[in-house]
Amino acid sequence: MNASDPIIEVRNVSKTFDRVVRALDNVSIMVRRNEIVSVVGENGAGKSTLMKILVGVYQPDSGEMYHMGRRVPFPKDPLDALSRGISIVYQERGVIPHLKVYQFLFLGLEEKFTRLGRLQLGKIIGLAKSVFEELGLKCDLASSMYELPLSTQKMVEIARAILSVRLVVGMDGGSEITPVIILDEPTAPLSLEERDELFNYLLNLKKSNSFIFVSHIIPEVMKFSDRIYVLRDGKVVAHHDLSSEKITEDQIFREIVGRESYYDLWARYVYGVGAVEGRRIVLSVQNLTKKGYFENISFDLHEGECIGLFGPAGCGKSEIAKALYGEIAADTGKILVDGKEVKLKSEPYARVKLGIGYFSGETGKELFLFWPIRKNVSIVNFEKVTKKPLKIISVISFNAERLLADKIMKKLKIRAPSVETECYSLSGGNKQKVSVGKWLEKSPKILILEDPTIGIDVGAREEIYEVLLEMKKNGIAMVLVSDDPKEYAILCDKVISIRSGVIGAVYTNEEFRRLMEL
Amino acid sequence: MKSGLEGLRIGSVVATSIWRLVKANPAVWAIIALVAIFSALVPDKFLSTGNLVAILKNFAVTSMLAVGPTFVILLGSIDVSYMGIWMFGGALVWLLYPYLGLASIMIYPIFGLLVGLFNGVIHVKAKVPSFILTIAVTAVFAFLTTYVRNVSGVLTLTVPAYNFLRESPIPYIPSPFLLALPVIVLALFIMFFTKLGTYFCAIGSNEEGAKLAGINVEKYKILAFTLSGLLTGLGSIAIFVHLGCQTRVDFDPSELVRGLAAIVLGGTPLAGGMGGPHRTLLGALVYVLIFNGLFLLPGVDPNHLKLYVGTLLLGAVVAASRALKGALIA
Amino acid sequence: MAQAWFSREWLQRNINTIIPAMGFIALVIALRMANPYFLTSWDSVITLVYGMSWFLIAACGLTLVILMGSFDFSVPSVLKLSAMIFAVLYPSIGFSSIIVAIMVGLLFGFINGILLARFNIPSFMATLATSMVAEGLAQVISGGYTRMITDPAFRAISTTMILGLPSIFYWAIAIWAICVFLTFMTPFGRMVYAVGSNIVGARLAGINVRMVRTLVFMICSLLASIAGILYASQIQGAHMQVGVLDMIPLFASVVVGGTALTGGVGGVHRTLLGVLIIRWLDSGLSMLAIDLNVRMIIFGAIAITMAILTIDRRRIRIMK
Repeated sequence: MNASDPIIEVRNVSKTFDRVVRALDNVSIMVRRNEIVSVVGENGAGKSTLMKILVGVYQPDSGEMYHMGRRVPFPKDPLDALSRGISIVYQERGVIPHLKVYQFLFLGLEEKFTRLGRLQLGKIIGLAKSVFEELGLKCDLASSMYELPLSTQKMVEIARAILSVRLVVGMDGGSEITPVIILDEPTAPLSLEERDELFNYLLNLKKSNSFIFVSHIIPEVMKFSDRIYVLRDGKVVAHHDLSSEKITEDQIFREIVGRESYYDLWARYVYGVGAVEGRRIVLSVQNLTKKGYFENISFDLHEGECIGLFGPAGCGKSEIAKALYGEIAADTGKILVDGKEVKLKSEPYARVKLGIGYFSGETGKELFLFWPIRKNVSIVNFEKVTKKPLKIISVISFNAERLLADKIMKKLKIRAPSVETECYSLSGGNKQKVSVGKWLEKSPKILILEDPTIGIDVGAREEIYEVLLEMKKNGIAMVLVSDDPKEYAILCDKVISIRSGVIGAVYTNEEFRRLMEL
Repeated sequence: MKSGLEGLRIGSVVATSIWRLVKANPAVWAIIALVAIFSALVPDKFLSTGNLVAILKNFAVTSMLAVGPTFVILLGSIDVSYMGIWMFGGALVWLLYPYLGLASIMIYPIFGLLVGLFNGVIHVKAKVPSFILTIAVTAVFAFLTTYVRNVSGVLTLTVPAYNFLRESPIPYIPSPFLLALPVIVLALFIMFFTKLGTYFCAIGSNEEGAKLAGINVEKYKILAFTLSGLLTGLGSIAIFVHLGCQTRVDFDPSELVRGLAAIVLGGTPLAGGMGGPHRTLLGALVYVLIFNGLFLLPGVDPNHLKLYVGTLLLGAVVAASRALKGALIA
Repeated sequence: MAQAWFSREWLQRNINTIIPAMGFIALVIALRMANPYFLTSWDSVITLVYGMSWFLIAACGLTLVILMGSFDFSVPSVLKLSAMIFAVLYPSIGFSSIIVAIMVGLLFGFINGILLARFNIPSFMATLATSMVAEGLAQVISGGYTRMITDPAFRAISTTMILGLPSIFYWAIAIWAICVFLTFMTPFGRMVYAVGSNIVGARLAGINVRMVRTLVFMICSLLASIAGILYASQIQGAHMQVGVLDMIPLFASVVVGGTALTGGVGGVHRTLLGVLIIRWLDSGLSMLAIDLNVRMIIFGAIAITMAILTIDRRRIRIMK
C-alpha cells in the first residue's frame, strides 16, 4: 500500500432527515495517512452529519465506504468505527471535569486493565505516562481535568481518542491501521495562544496519525491543513490540495458563503448609515473587562444604530453580549444606559427594566416550548395585557393577550393554527419569529442579538432580518454577535472587530462589506 | 549524617502526604478541632474509655447509614431509602427467623439489594426524581414496620438469638464497629479499585460526556442504586446488633437526616461528581463527635436533639453550597 | 382539527385531568358501596369539611412550590410550629399570638427561599433541614406536651357556623380561590409557571427569578401557618403528633390533583380535587378501620404512581 493511498474513503454519501431536509448530497471525501484534512462550511452545511456518519452515530441513505482500499459497510456504532481506527473528539461536553487525568484517559476502556474485578492502577498509570511521553504531553496525571488549561484538556481528549483506537484495534498487531481522529471545532473555546499550542501538538502527532479537522475558522484551517474540503448546503463545493495549489483565505471564504443576493434587503432598509452623530447615545460601554474573556471594551451605541461585535468564535464577543445583558457579570468597567450606570452584577431582570432586551437563536433556551404563542409573547409585555382594578393588583386580560399575540402573528407571518398553539410544534423559523416578536412588541431601547438566525432556513432568515431592520428604523439600538459575516453586512452600521478579547479595528458597514467582499 | 538526611526526607514525604490528605478533606480539620475543643472543655467525660467506645459504636451506626447512599450522591442523585431498608429489613428478619433460623440475618443484604434495584430501575426508566422516589420508599417501609409491630402485638421486634453477635472478641472495640468494618472496606475497594467509582464520578460530573465516552449511563445508574441498597443492607446488620438485636419500629426523621448530614459534612457535594465513601466516613466521625461532645456539656437538653440536628444540617448544607454555585437548582 | 379527539396524544396531554377525575368518581362509588351511610347526613359532610379545610390551605401552598419546580418539606412542620406558638402564647397575649405565629411562618418561608435562591441549595435538602429546626422549636416551646385551650373565642375562628358550614370552610375556599386567581390571572402567577417551565428562559425574559422563588416559599409557609392556626382552633389546642406524617397525604393530594413534580404543569385549581380524593379516601379507609400505617402506605403508593404518570418526560434531559 502506498503512502498516498487513502486509509478511509467515503463516496457519494447522501443523508436525508425526515424525508425532506437533505443534509448530505453525494459527498465524497478521503483521508490519507499522516495528513490533516479540513472540512469547512457554515453551520448547517452538513459537516457534523458527515462526521456522525463516519463514527457510526447516523447511517447514510446511500454511499460507499472504503477502508485501506477494501470496501466495507458503514460503521454501525462508535465502537465499530473505533475498530476501523476512527475516533472523534467532540466540540464540547466531552471533558469530564471532576475526573483525574488518568481516569479520564482510560474512561470506558478499563476492561483491558481489570483482573479479578480489580483495576490495575499501576498498569494504567504506567501506560498513561508512556503515552503522554510519546505524544509530548506534559501534565500531572493525578490532577483533575478541570484544573488543566482548556488547551491541555483538548490535548488529553485527543490523546484519549488515539489511545482508544489503539486499545480497540490492538496496539501491536494492527500497526497497519493509522488512527483517524476527527476534531469537531476543537478550537472554539480556546484563546489564540492556546490554539497555537494545540496546533503544534497536532503537527507533532501527524507523524503517526491522521486528522479530520472540522471548523469554520478559515485562517487556522489554511495554516495547518494539507487538504481542504468545502461543504455548502450538503454538497462538496470545492476541494483544495494546499501542497499543490495557491489559494487565498478570501477565496475559501467565498466558497463557504456562496453568493446570494442579500443586497436587496439591505438596500431596502438601509437609512442614514454613518449619520449617528446627532442622535442620542443610549448605551455607553466603558473599559468593560472580564478576566480571561475580554478586556477594556469601550463603545457608544446611538439610538437606532446597530453595532456588530465581529471576530472568530471564542474571541470573547458572545461573553461581551452576555455581560451587557447580565447573564454573566463583568469584573470592572462601566455600562451606562441613557447616562445611568448599571450595576455590573445585576441580573437580567434589572437590565430589562432599564430597557435592554436579549434575543438569541437558541430558541430552546429562550422560549417556553410547552406554552402557547400567546403566553410566550406576553411574558415580557405584561404591562400591555394587564389591567389594574386596584393599585397593587394587576390582572391579566386573556383577551388582550390574544389580540396582542394575534397582531404579532399577522405582522410576522407566523404560520400556526392559532395563538393557542404550543410553541414546540412550530418550525424553527416560526419559533424564532415568536421569540423576536415579543421583543418587537416590547420595543426596548437596546436589543442584544446573539446568533439571531442560527439554524433556520434562508426564507425565515430574511423575514427575521426584516423585523430587526424595522425595529432599528423605529429607533431601537442593537448589538449584534454572530458567526455569519452576511448578517453583519445586513444589520450593522458599524462593525467592531474583537481579537482575543480586545477591540481591534472599527469598520463602517461599507468598509466591512468591502473587506469581506460581500 | 546520611541517615539523618534520609530521615528528614521520609519525614517530609510523610508530612506532605498528611498535608495533602488534610487539604483534600476539610473534614479532617473539623475532627481535629472537635477533639481539641471537647478534650479541653470536658476532658474527664470526653476522654473516658466508655465514651470513646460509645463514639466508635455511634460512628459505626452513622457511617453504615451513609456509606451506601454516597455512591448515589456521586451520581448527583440522592438515595434516602436507607431508613426503609434498615427498619423493614429488621422486621423481615424478625418475621422469618422462625423459618430460617440464624440464616435469616442474610435477609438484610438481599432485601437491601432488591430495594436498591427497584429504586434504580424506577428512577432511570420512569424518570422519577430520586429524592421523592426514595423518600416514598422509606416512608412505605417505615410504616410497614410499624404496622408489623402493631398487628403482631409485641413492643419491639427483637431477635434475642443474635445476642452472641453483641460480644466483641476484641476488648474495647465494640462489635457493631467490627461488623461495619467489612462494609467500609468493601465500599472503599469499589470506590478506588474498580472502575465503578470512576464511572459514578464521571456520570455525576458530566452525564452527557460520560455517554459520549461510551459508558452505558443507565446501567451504571441502576448499579449505583443497587450497590447503595446492598451496602445499606449489609451495614444495617451492624445497626441491628447495636440496638440490641432489634430494629426501629417508629419513623424518626432525625435518623434520616443523620445519614445525609454525614455525607454533606464529609464534603461530597450534592451536585455529584466528586467525593466518595472515604469522605463520608470522615463526615460520620464529625457528626458523631459533635453530638457526643455536645451532650456531655452541661445545660444541653437531649430532648432538643431535633433542633440541634436541624441546625447542624442547615449549617452543613450552607457550608457545602459553595460547590453548587453557578447551576440553577430545583 | 381533523385529528380524532381520542388519540394517544390526546390521552397523553390530558392524563393529568383524566386520572384524578376517574379516580374521584371511582372513589365516590366505592365509598358509597362500602358504607351506605356515606354522605347521607349533614353531620358527615361537616366532619369531612373539618378534615379537608386546613389541609386544603396547606396543600395550596405546597402546590405553588411544586409548580415552580421545587419542593417544600417544611410545610407540616411549620404548620405544627405555628399551631403550637398560637396555642402556647394564646393564654398570655390572646389573639396577638396569631401575628407571632404568622411572622414565624413567614420567617421560615423566607429562610427556605433564600437557601434555594441565594445559596443554591436544592430545595428538598434545605427544607428538610428547616423542617427539623421547626420541629425542634415546636418541641422546645411546648416541652413536648399537648396544649389544650378551652376558651370558646379561640375555637370560634374556625368553628362558627355560617349557612350550615363552619367558618374554616370559608377560610379554605377563600384562600384556594385567591391562589387560583393569583396563579391564573396575575403576572406573578405567570412568572411562577415560567420558573417551573424553563428557568433559564424565565431569567432571560427579565423575570426576577430569585424574588419569585423567595416569595413563593414565603407564601407557602404563610399558608402553612394559617392552616396551623385554624387547625389549632378547630381541635382546641395543639399537639406534637401532626407533622411528619402529614407530608405524605399532602404531597399525595398535590400530585393526585395532577400537578407534575417537574414543575410548570398543573395548578392550584387541581389541588382541590386532589384534596377531596385523598381526604375522602382517608376517611373511607378509617371507616373500614384500616390501620393508620397502612393508610400512609396507600397514600405513598398513590403519590408515587401519580408522580410517575404526570411527569412530563418531553422536557427532561437529565433526571437527578
